Amino acid sequence: MDEHEKSDPLRELGERLDKARRAQQRPERAAPSEDTSSALAYGLRVGLELVVAIVVAVLIGWALDKWLGTRPWGMIGFFFLGVAAGMVNVYRTVRGLGMAVGYRRDRKTGTEANWDEDED
Amino acid sequence: MALELHPLEQFKTAKLIPIHIGGIDASFTNASLFMCLAVVVASALVILGARRRDLVPGRWQSIAEVSYEFIAKMIDDNVGHEGRQYFPFLFTLFMFVLFGNLLGLTPYGYVFTGQIIVTFALAVVVFIGVTLIGIIRHGFRFLSFFVPHGVPFVLLIILVPIEVLSYFIRPFTLSIRLFANMMAGHTMLAIFGGFVAVLGIAGILPLSVDVLLIFLELLVAVLQAYVFTILSCLYLRDAIHLH
Repeated sequence: MDEHEKSDPLRELGERLDKARRAQQRPERAAPSEDTSSALAYGLRVGLELVVAIVVAVLIGWALDKWLGTRPWGMIGFFFLGVAAGMVNVYRTVRGLGMAVGYRRDRKTGTEANWDEDED
Repeated sequence: MALELHPLEQFKTAKLIPIHIGGIDASFTNASLFMCLAVVVASALVILGARRRDLVPGRWQSIAEVSYEFIAKMIDDNVGHEGRQYFPFLFTLFMFVLFGNLLGLTPYGYVFTGQIIVTFALAVVVFIGVTLIGIIRHGFRFLSFFVPHGVPFVLLIILVPIEVLSYFIRPFTLSIRLFANMMAGHTMLAIFGGFVAVLGIAGILPLSVDVLLIFLELLVAVLQAYVFTILSCLYLRDAIHLH
């Protein structure tokens, strides 16, 4: 009984510390669907990633065609390349691999995952 | 009563002082004016904030210190210690974009970050700078950046062009993100503002929406400056460490 009373304040302090720590620690990676405004921003970002890749690729293909006179082929080739690049970028964004080119796993995905949610 | 003001009218550049040098239109526009203002205000904030160096900082000193530490920490977290030598550039970039966004929200203000050419120029400066840093630091090894690790040779033929393309897309996504956010916000404010005059007494409704939107826009202004800078940091990290 004596022992129990002695350990109680300590345990209580431990619990309070744990709670405070948990409150301070930001969730590792909240699901983007948790609140609508951030989900919308997330969706917009993914869309931007995909669309810009395709548009830029098609423009490059068009310019190459004009320069080399290979009319439809550059544009067709670069269109598919753009779709692929866009999808790879979307995949990277969603998986929290950051904006890095390349597939090597990032040690610091935590920071990037955080800014993912932070965007409006 | 028609809508007198077109919501997109606010993005028009107006020549304040026409200057023509050898057939190039280098006129001083309202965009130039607000860029100068952004530079002056940001410099004034930091210079005046750093003038009195108290151990317990006053208001202005606090603002200067907080913004300094914010960017310094961002670089430490995202680039690492080698990134510190690029601090002046990233800090300037952040302050310029931030004050461009914020000054655009002042009455009669002009938001130059809502111009795609401005954000694109900024993004291209970052892109070229980061690429040069990568090449100077690593020489030809920089090209290994585009070769994914541990992939069979046949797949490399497809993957390397994709990697190169996603690398060159960076300045576009970087600039469009900032530009689209600023332009969308200001257009929305103008649209609701246009309803205020048309609706008469019921105009109080769109007016209250505008008041709320201003707060949202303040948030977006700071956030987009932050996002622009942190993405530049991440690109810089790639160039320095090659992963």
